[in-house]
Amino acid sequence: MNTENILLDLIQYLFFIFSATAIVSYIILAIISVIETKAYMKKNSLVNYSEILASSNSPSISIIAPAYNESLNIIENVRSLLSNHYVNYDVIIVNDGSKDDSLEKLIKAYDLVKVDYLINPAIKTKPLRAGVFKSTNPAFGKLIIVDKENGGKADALNMGLNISPNKYVACIDVDCLLIEDALQKLIKPFLEATDYKVIAAGGVIRIANSCIIKDGKLLDVNLPKNLLVKGQILEYLRAFLLGRMAWSRLNGLLVISGAFGLFDKKIAMKVGGYDTKTVGEDMEIIVRMRKFMEEKNEKYKVAYIPDPLCWTEAPDNYKTFLSQRNRWTRGTIETLKKHRKIGLNPKYRSLGIISFPYWFIFERLAPIIEVIGIIYFMFLLVIKAIRWDYAIIFLVVAYLFTVTFSIVTIITEELTYHQYKKKGMGFELVKIAFLEPFICHPFILYAAIKGNFDYYFNKNIKWGVMTKKGMSN
Amino acid sequence: MEDFYHIIVNLFFNAPVFIKITVLLIIGFILAITVLIIYLKHIRRRLRNKERIQATYRKKYESELISYLYSGDGDGKINSEQQGIINYLKKCSHNPLKRKILVSTLLKLRNEISGEVADAIQNLYYQIGLENHAAKKLKNKKWNKIAKGILELTQFEIKEVHDEIILHINHPRGEVRKEVQMYLVKIFYFDGLEFLNVIEHYLSEWDQIQLIETLQKFENQQIPDINPWLKSTNDSVVLFAIKLAKIYNQSESKDILLGLLDHDNILVRVNTIDVLNNLYVTEAVPILKENFSKLSIEEQIAFFSMLENIHHNNDIKFIFENINNKNFEIKVSANNIMKALNIEKLNAVMIEAFESETSESSDFITIAS
Repeated sequence: MNTENILLDLIQYLFFIFSATAIVSYIILAIISVIETKAYMKKNSLVNYSEILASSNSPSISIIAPAYNESLNIIENVRSLLSNHYVNYDVIIVNDGSKDDSLEKLIKAYDLVKVDYLINPAIKTKPLRAGVFKSTNPAFGKLIIVDKENGGKADALNMGLNISPNKYVACIDVDCLLIEDALQKLIKPFLEATDYKVIAAGGVIRIANSCIIKDGKLLDVNLPKNLLVKGQILEYLRAFLLGRMAWSRLNGLLVISGAFGLFDKKIAMKVGGYDTKTVGEDMEIIVRMRKFMEEKNEKYKVAYIPDPLCWTEAPDNYKTFLSQRNRWTRGTIETLKKHRKIGLNPKYRSLGIISFPYWFIFERLAPIIEVIGIIYFMFLLVIKAIRWDYAIIFLVVAYLFTVTFSIVTIITEELTYHQYKKKGMGFELVKIAFLEPFICHPFILYAAIKGNFDYYFNKNIKWGVMTKKGMSN
Repeated sequence: MEDFYHIIVNLFFNAPVFIKITVLLIIGFILAITVLIIYLKHIRRRLRNKERIQATYRKKYESELISYLYSGDGDGKINSEQQGIINYLKKCSHNPLKRKILVSTLLKLRNEISGEVADAIQNLYYQIGLENHAAKKLKNKKWNKIAKGILELTQFEIKEVHDEIILHINHPRGEVRKEVQMYLVKIFYFDGLEFLNVIEHYLSEWDQIQLIETLQKFENQQIPDINPWLKSTNDSVVLFAIKLAKIYNQSESKDILLGLLDHDNILVRVNTIDVLNNLYVTEAVPILKENFSKLSIEEQIAFFSMLENIHHNNDIKFIFENINNKNFEIKVSANNIMKALNIEKLNAVMIEAFESETSESSDFITIAS
C-alpha cells in the first residue's frame, strides 16, 4: 500500500467517523427528547393554566417587539399581542427608525400621546426619535410605543430592556402570532424553579403559512402548497421536537429562538443586553448569559418547553430563504468565535465540554465538511478511484436515515400536540419527509457556505432582505 | 426471477463485511420506515376515532345526566328511572376511557350549574362509586396516577379522604405535593394551610401563587395565626406567610416581621421590606436607614420603594443624598419622592443639605423642580 492510498483511506475514514458520530448523536438527542417530552406531557396534564392566568399575584412581564417598516400589518400585530390572556403584562413596541408610516398609524389606531418617561440608561442604545407614547384609551393601557433612531433589532430590544419596568421580558418578532396562553406556559419554568435559577426559556415555533388567522387568533392549521414551506415545517419540527428538548434536558441549550423567548431581565441587563454587532443576537445573548452564570458559579437553567407557543411566517421563496439561512450561519460563526474560550474549557462544565464542541462540529463545521466531501468525491471521480458500491450504498443509508428521523418527528408531533389533524395531512408530511432532502437541504448547504464566505470576505453585509407577506387572513 | 435472486444473494455473500453491514442497515431502515408509516397511519386513525368516541359518549352521558336530574320526584329519593341510569353509568365506569369521559361530563355540568342540581350531581358521583375509583389511585405506585386521583377528589370536594391525602404532603414529586396542597386549601380553606407546619420541601413560587389565588376566592373566612409560619425553618413557608401578611393586612405580626429584616435569606428580607411598606410600619424606616450601606442592592431598592410611601422630614436629607445613586431604580424613587414634596419644604431641606457640602446639582432635581 503506497502513501497515496493510505492518505485516501485516512480521509475516507475521517468522513466516515464524522457521519457516524453525527448519526449517533442525532439518535441520542432524539431519544432524550422523546423521554423528556413524555415526562413534560405527563407533568403538565394536571396543570390548570387558568389559575395563574387571572392572578394579579403572577409576576409582571413585558413583551418587547421591535418593528422596522412594518406599516402593512403593525396595527393587527399589536392587537394580537394585546389580546394575550395573561394579566400582568405590558407590550413595548420599539419602532426602530422606520421610514414608513408605522408610527402615524399606531398613533391614530391606539390614541397615542407622547409622555415623559425616565429611561434606564444601563444599556447604550441609539437615541429616541419622536419619543415614548402611551394610549389615552384605557383599553390599550398595556401598550407603550417607543420611537427611536434606527439601530437594528438588537438595539431596539435593548431599548425595550431599558424601558421595561418588569422582572421578566418576552422578546418577540412583532409579526409573530403568540398563542393566548403562551406567557403563562413560558413563565411556569421560572416560577417552578426552587434550587436553581431559570435565566431564559423558549418554546416551539411553528410555521403559520396558509393557516387561518383572524383578529390575531389562530383558527385553523393548514399545510401550505409551497414545497419549500412544507420542507421548513418538517425542519422546524425536527429541530424543536427532537433537538432542543434534549439540549434543555442536558442543560446545554445555546439558543432560544429570536421569534419568541422569555428572559430574566436582571440577568439580561447585567450581561449588557443584546450584542448589536452580531446578526445572531438571539444565540449570542444566551451564550453570554450562560457564561455569566457559570462564572458566578450559580445553579441555573435555560428552559425549553415543547408546547407550540408562537406561529411565524416562513420564507416561501428561495431568495428570502437563502438570505435567512445565510444570516443564521453568520450569527452562529460570530457567537462561537466571540465566546471561543468556552469551548473544551472544563470551567464551563457541560456548556464548555458538550454544547460548545457539539455546536462547533455539527453546526459550524458540518456544511464545510459536507462541501469538502463533495469536492473529494469529484476528485475521486476525476482520478477514477470511486468505489461505486460503497458510494451508492452510503448515500442510500444517509438518505434513509434522514427519512426515518423525519417520520419519527412526525409521530412525536402526532403523539403530543397533534396539530395537523386534517385527513391527508399525515400522508403529505410523510411525502415531504422523502422530498425534503432535495428541496431544502441543498439550499441550506449553499446558504451556509455563502454565509461563511460573506462572514470572511463580505463584512458589510448585515441582516439581508426578509420580505414577509403578513399572516392576517 | 430465480436467477436474479441468486445473483443478488451471491453478490451479498461475496461482498466485503462493510458492505454487508451497510446493506443490512438499509434493509433495517426500509423496514423501520414501513413500520413507522403504518404506525403513523394507525395513531392518526386512533386519535380521530378517540375524538369521535369521546364526543359521542360525552353527548350520550350529558343526555343521561339531564334525564337523571329531571326525572327526580323532588323528595330527594332516587326513583326507579334514576336507579336505572345509575346502574348504567356504574357499568360504564368500569371502562377507564368511559370513566374519564363520565367524570369530565359530570364536572362540566356541575361547574355550569349551582344549588340543588349541583348537589344532585355530587350525589350521583357518589352513587356511581366514582370516588372509590379516584381514591384507589391514591395507593398507586405511579406518581401521576396519585396526582390525578387527588385532582379528581378535589374537583368533587370529597372530604372523607383527607387523612389518606395528607399522607402525600411530603411526596418526592412536586406535582403530587401541589395537588395535596390544592386539595387541602380548596376544601378546607384556611384550615387547609395546616400543611405548612409539616411541609419539608420548598414551596415554589408557582405553588404559592396558586394557593393564594385559591384562598382569595373565599370570603368571610377567619385567617389563622400566621406567626408560627413566619418563624418557620422552611424559607418558602416564611415567604408564603409574608405574602399572606401583605394580602390580609396582618399588622399584628409587625414585630415578627421587623425581626425578619435580619433573616439569612435575602429574598425573605426583600419581601419583608415590601410587606412592612404595605402595612405602613414606620418603625422599619430608621432601622433600614441606619443599615442602608450594609443592605444588598435588592433591599436598598425595596427600601426606597418604602420611602416613596413612608418618609418623614428627617429622611429627606438621606433621600437627597441618594438622588445620584448609581442604581437606576433608587435614583427614580429618590426623584419621585422629591417631585412629590412641597417645593418650599424641598427648598428648606436643600438649603440644609447645601450648608454642609457643596453638592453639584443633579439632572433629576432639575426635572423635579
